[in-house]
Amino acid sequence: MTPLDQPSAAAPTEFDQQLLNLLARCAAADSNALKRLYELASPILFACLTRILRRRALAEEALQDVFVSIWQRAGQFSASRGRPMAWMMSIARYRAIDLLRHERNVPALVPDLPERLAAQPETESERNSPAWLPPSGLLEHCLALLTERQKHCLELAFVGGNSHEDISRLTGSPLGTVKSWIRRGLHSLRQCLEGAAK
Amino acid sequence: MTPANPELVDRLAAEYVLGTLRGPARRRFENWRATSPHVDQRCCYWEEHLMHMAKGLKPVQPPPHVWPAIRERLNLTPHGSRRRWTRNLALAASIVLVAGLGSLLYWRSLPPVRATAVSIISTKAGDELWQVKVFGNTNRLVVQAEKLPARQAGHDYELWALPKGGNPVSLGVMPTEGTSTRALTAIQKSALASSSQVAVSIEPTGGSPTGQPTGDIVFVAPLRASG
Repeated sequence: MTPLDQPSAAAPTEFDQQLLNLLARCAAADSNALKRLYELASPILFACLTRILRRRALAEEALQDVFVSIWQRAGQFSASRGRPMAWMMSIARYRAIDLLRHERNVPALVPDLPERLAAQPETESERNSPAWLPPSGLLEHCLALLTERQKHCLELAFVGGNSHEDISRLTGSPLGTVKSWIRRGLHSLRQCLEGAAK
Repeated sequence: MTPANPELVDRLAAEYVLGTLRGPARRRFENWRATSPHVDQRCCYWEEHLMHMAKGLKPVQPPPHVWPAIRERLNLTPHGSRRRWTRNLALAASIVLVAGLGSLLYWRSLPPVRATAVSIISTKAGDELWQVKVFGNTNRLVVQAEKLPARQAGHDYELWALPKGGNPVSLGVMPTEGTSTRALTAIQKSALASSSQVAVSIEPTGGSPTGQPTGDIVFVAPLRASG
C-alpha cells in the first residue's frame, strides 16, 4: 500500500486510541462515551467553528449539530479512514462552511480574528504539537516551501473558512491571482508530501 | 474504480477539504465523493494532512449549556449508565417484590418491550437485507443486517424515515453485519411517527454529509406499526 492509499502513515497516538475507543462506545449507544468525547474534543472543534462562523451563538448551534452527527455516525468511523480528530474536524468544518452559505451576510458579533496564526508569537508549549494533534513536522516542512502568499491564502481558507472571494477582498489581490496562488500552493504541497512519502 | 483524471480529482479534493470549493460545485463534488471510493480516499488524504494547519488554534471551552442541549437533542439520559444502573436496580428490586406477590403482578410490572413499528427491507427477488425495528417506548432503533449484497468500498447504506409532507430524516448508517442499536432523537422519533415508508440510500462512508440523501435511493420499504 502506498502512502497515497493510506491517509495516515503514522501510527495512532494514545490520544487517537482514546478517541477511537470512545467512538466505538458511542456506536454502541453509550452516552457516557459521548460525554467524554465531548469533553476531549469540543474545545478544539468549538475553536474551529468560532473562527469560521465568527458568531458565538451560531458556533454553539453548529457544535450541537457536530456532536449529533458524531453520535449518529460513530459506528461508521474506522481507523483506516485516518485519525479520529481529522474526521471530527472535517465534520465541524464542513458544517460551518454549509452554514456560511446562509450566514455570511449577517454582521459578525465576534470581531475578526487575526487569520495569520503562524505570524503570532508562539510560546514554547505552542511550538510543540498540542495534545489533540499528532506530532508531524511534514506538513509544516512542506508549507515552509511555499511562497508567503500561497501559504497565507491556504491559511485564510482552511482556518478562517474564507472563500476565494473573501481572500481576494482580505488580501486586496485580484480573484484570479488568489485562485492561482491557492491552486499552485496545493499542487506544491502535494508534490512535497508525496516526495517525502517515497 | 479510479476516475479517468486523477489529477483533476486530487485538485478538487484538495479544494473541497480546504473549503474553497463552494456552491453547486461543492454539492456536486460531495455527490461524487459519495459514489466514488477513489474520490473519498483522496478527501481523507487531504483531511489528514491539512488538519495540521489548525495547529495554532487555541482551544475554546464551549459554554456549559451546549452539552445539555446536545443531550436533549439525542434524547440521552442525564447521567448515562449511572441512571440505567439505578433503573436496573429498581427493576430488579421490583421483580423480587412482585415474585412474592404473584406472577400476574410480576408481568404487569415489566415495561412493554415489543417493537412499535417494523420494516423488512428486501431485494426485488425477495431476499431479506435488513430488519428495522422501532421501540417507541424506549426510543431505540434496532437494525439487523441479513444477507447483504457486496458493497463498494468507501460507501455506506443510510436509512431514512420518509415523513409525510416533509424531507427525509436520517436514521443513521446501516450495519453491514450483526445488529446495531441506536438511541432515537426527538426529531427521528417524530419523523418515524408520520412515516409509512423508510428508504435506504448509498452515501459516502459515515453517511450523507448534507443531512439529506445525496446518493441513489436503492431500497424503499413499508414501515408497519406492530405490537
